[in-house]
Amino acid sequence: METKREWKWFTIYEHEKEQEYLRSMHRSGWKFVRVSGLCIYQFEKCTPEDVIYQLDYNQEGLAHKEEYVQMFRDCGWEYLQDYVGYSYFRKSAAETDGAEEIFCDDQSRLQMMERVFKGRLVPLLVLFCTVILPQIGMQIMMQHYGLAAMYAVIIGIYVWIFVKFALHYKRCRDGN
Amino acid sequence: MDAHIRKVYIPMTETAFFILLCLREPNHGYGIVQTVEKLTDGVLRLTPGTMYGSLSKMEKDGLIRFIREEEKRKIYQITELGEEILRCEVQRIERLHRIVQETM
Repeated sequence: METKREWKWFTIYEHEKEQEYLRSMHRSGWKFVRVSGLCIYQFEKCTPEDVIYQLDYNQEGLAHKEEYVQMFRDCGWEYLQDYVGYSYFRKSAAETDGAEEIFCDDQSRLQMMERVFKGRLVPLLVLFCTVILPQIGMQIMMQHYGLAAMYAVIIGIYVWIFVKFALHYKRCRDGN
Repeated sequence: MDAHIRKVYIPMTETAFFILLCLREPNHGYGIVQTVEKLTDGVLRLTPGTMYGSLSKMEKDGLIRFIREEEKRKIYQITELGEEILRCEVQRIERLHRIVQETM
């Protein structure tokens, strides 16, 4: 079986982009096998087909995996794997009206983003306050401005991630 | 009734409404999906991500309770608080319906 690997980076709030990526790969004859390591996506050659991919982020579901996966299976979704807290599902578009998602209202979409925030952004924030911030203070005190500048770049990345996430959340909430 | 719970659930989503409506009898998530599809002639198809999230949230908020597990499916039933919330929501919808009939 012919396979291929692709490295692809999706930031925390970009799971919709990731879904689209997997769908377009399948449409062009590359069926998603797994994602592992540092964002290495593995595919195998297949007949091109329109398949809908969906990601959920639900730590409670992962803790009760059997019944969590069972509900998706009952509704016709194939469970693929978990990766950094996300669960991957797919369903052939032919079985649906072509636009089916695992969420059917905005409230539950927002709730998923809130779970992502708690599960992925809050730990980043804790790391920031307990490690990075004290480090910057220390480097400045020791007049290691180079290192301090490096940490400043990290702050920049942090701000960028949080602002992007907030904007994305707002866009979802306002329904565009 | 807790003002916070009231604020969160009234008005409620269609998914939450049908969960409460269906769980007057013990049922599991997929059972609710099937019942709703029948009740609405296939117009409303509840989805598993929304369903799973709503069920766990409503269980935490005390509107429904877990009864037992059957073949990897959790069976839930409505609580007294859930029934009270459902009654409030039905009254709200009836009021809207009445207003529509009177004014349109």
